[in-house]
Amino acid sequence: MSATAWFELIASGLITGGIYALVGLGLNLQYGLMRILNIAHGEFLMLGAYLTWMAATLLGWSPLAMLPAVFVLLLGLGLVVHRLTFRKLAADAPNVDVFEARGLMVAFGLMFLVQNLASWAWGGDLRGYDYLTQPVQVGGTQFAANKLLVFGLALLFSLALMALLRFTLLGKGVRALMQSPVGAQLVGIDTKRLHPLMFGVGLGLSGVAGCLLSMAYTITPAMGEPYTVTALIVITLGGFGSMGGTLAGGLLLGVIEALGMHFTNPSLKSLLSYGVFIAVLLWRPNGLFSKR
Amino acid sequence: MAADRSTPNRRRWMQGTAAVLGSAAFAPALRAQTASGGPVRIGYAMSRTGPWTPGAQVSQEPNYLLWAEQVNAAGGLDVKGVKRPVELVSSDDRSDIETCVRSYQKLMGSDKVDLILPPWGSNANFAIAPLAQRFGYPMLAPTALSRKLIDMNLSFFFSLLQQPDRMMGALVDMLAANGAKSVAIVYMDDLFGLENFAALNNALKKTSIQVVERKSYPLGVKDLAPVLRGIKDQNPDAFIGITYPPDTILASKQAKEIGFNPKFFYASVGTAFQLYRNVITAPGAEGVLGMGSWNAKTSPSAKAYFDAHTKKFEGKEPDRWASGHCWAGLEILQAAVAKVGLDRKAIRDHVAGTTHKTIIGDVRFTGSENTATPGTVGQWQNGEFEVVWPASVATAKLNPAKPAWK
Repeated sequence: MSATAWFELIASGLITGGIYALVGLGLNLQYGLMRILNIAHGEFLMLGAYLTWMAATLLGWSPLAMLPAVFVLLLGLGLVVHRLTFRKLAADAPNVDVFEARGLMVAFGLMFLVQNLASWAWGGDLRGYDYLTQPVQVGGTQFAANKLLVFGLALLFSLALMALLRFTLLGKGVRALMQSPVGAQLVGIDTKRLHPLMFGVGLGLSGVAGCLLSMAYTITPAMGEPYTVTALIVITLGGFGSMGGTLAGGLLLGVIEALGMHFTNPSLKSLLSYGVFIAVLLWRPNGLFSKR
Repeated sequence: MAADRSTPNRRRWMQGTAAVLGSAAFAPALRAQTASGGPVRIGYAMSRTGPWTPGAQVSQEPNYLLWAEQVNAAGGLDVKGVKRPVELVSSDDRSDIETCVRSYQKLMGSDKVDLILPPWGSNANFAIAPLAQRFGYPMLAPTALSRKLIDMNLSFFFSLLQQPDRMMGALVDMLAANGAKSVAIVYMDDLFGLENFAALNNALKKTSIQVVERKSYPLGVKDLAPVLRGIKDQNPDAFIGITYPPDTILASKQAKEIGFNPKFFYASVGTAFQLYRNVITAPGAEGVLGMGSWNAKTSPSAKAYFDAHTKKFEGKEPDRWASGHCWAGLEILQAAVAKVGLDRKAIRDHVAGTTHKTIIGDVRFTGSENTATPGTVGQWQNGEFEVVWPASVATAKLNPAKPAWK
């Protein structure tokens, strides 16, 4: 295989991996911080995709303009969902394990609710629109402009989130909560404010991922579920609560899948993803990049 | 212990309530059934959620709804001279075989509907056809593509689409007649994909066309670029994708992305959908080949159907393949009921023994197979999906060199 062919293959894996990372980050924020294993994460991605599609086809808006709108809308939705469900759960649960189990059930319910709501509102048809599909030459090979844009923005959002967590006081509070919930509360970090906000940010990121995906792929109400599964694999790879690990894990999974599909067969893709998942669980249960 | 004692009581109480509620729910239905001129109850399960939905909600359920509406607007279904309203009894099968089987079991076993309409897709039809046989319900399936299902020789099952050997045979004939020397094949690894892949290989064996690549992929694939890049390097004359709607669009978008533009670009299910033109755009779709067998130019009745469909669903067009066959199936069923009434065995005999005039032309069954409709190839030309092969049913002339993707 030529160097160009390798470059093409790895680049196409990274592009897919960028989306995986973005979806994974949102989920990891919710799980790592609050122990909410949000099985409905992919459904909010689907909502983001549909909102973008509606704006693009009905109002003729640029999908790019929808990025901030989708983020804000889903952040708002996240606050509402948290207030209606997880806030009460957290108050009632005797300990965090019980909360996690109950939260999982609630998330399952949300999954069905959101998916069926979307089916009811938009029907089950495949949807899509044409946006920036012209090929762009990159180092002797070519990629669709929308894919490069998707990759760039996925990376940008991921890095922005990591910078937010690392360099701001808000981020410091969130990291403190991830490391020691009790300790953080003792030094005056307000979980009642931070938890809903971070849940909202997680949903917002999921919506952004959906918005990006709708530029390059067709969408249906059932599109979210596979991304939830991928996000679970990604955060297992990267380590719960580790944002850098999630980014690296997402990109890595994308590349592994691309290489695997090229050298074996796309039919074996799930085998590859789950193989990696099981291997990591067996040998590095805390994630590939954890220091423990 | 208290709980133990209360359980049987509670269970009995619940059973009693259920029985009362159940009989209350069924009594009106029973009365309606016995009264002459009551509605004709026609049951089906359809994918409204889950991965089968995009196909089911384009090629199948809209036609059922449009048909029932048209029949009722005309005063009802003609049952041997008596007009009776049509009542559709339907539910969501959630794209799940288990749910689908249970739904039909209920429809035929306990609801005892007058007739059934088939579910969507080869897999679901494979599961339901033997059941319909057992209950003695004729089943005119518009979206079942499987030689194995035909070979089961179920006397109540009729398949309206052209079977894999016909579709793939027509495609290979067309390629050979237009000088294609090499092909690359990508196929979906389910019943539909595997059978078409086998039929395609059989047809190719009879020609001198070289196969440079054969790769399978799973349902819900998100990226075919790594495979397409490999194929592009081998530069075949033709690309054949045995694909479902999302992958048809994915393969097309990614072929454009990497600049893979063979003379013949063929993708299977979904090419004939309006969605394809919406997503790929009309100039982008120009020259793309796929599974299609009719359009509004095929016959005046096809045009009437096309217009009625587009009007009812606010601009949503029927697809140029299975939708037409689905409508033909409803036409056949309607004519059979008018002729022989609701005796299901008599309907079955009528369907099996008659040459039917439909919007897609004559339909005649040999066993379960529609042997009157030839295998066909469609092609996007100027924003319309035209039938280009064979000449006997063509609505336009084949463009044998696909222009570059736009």
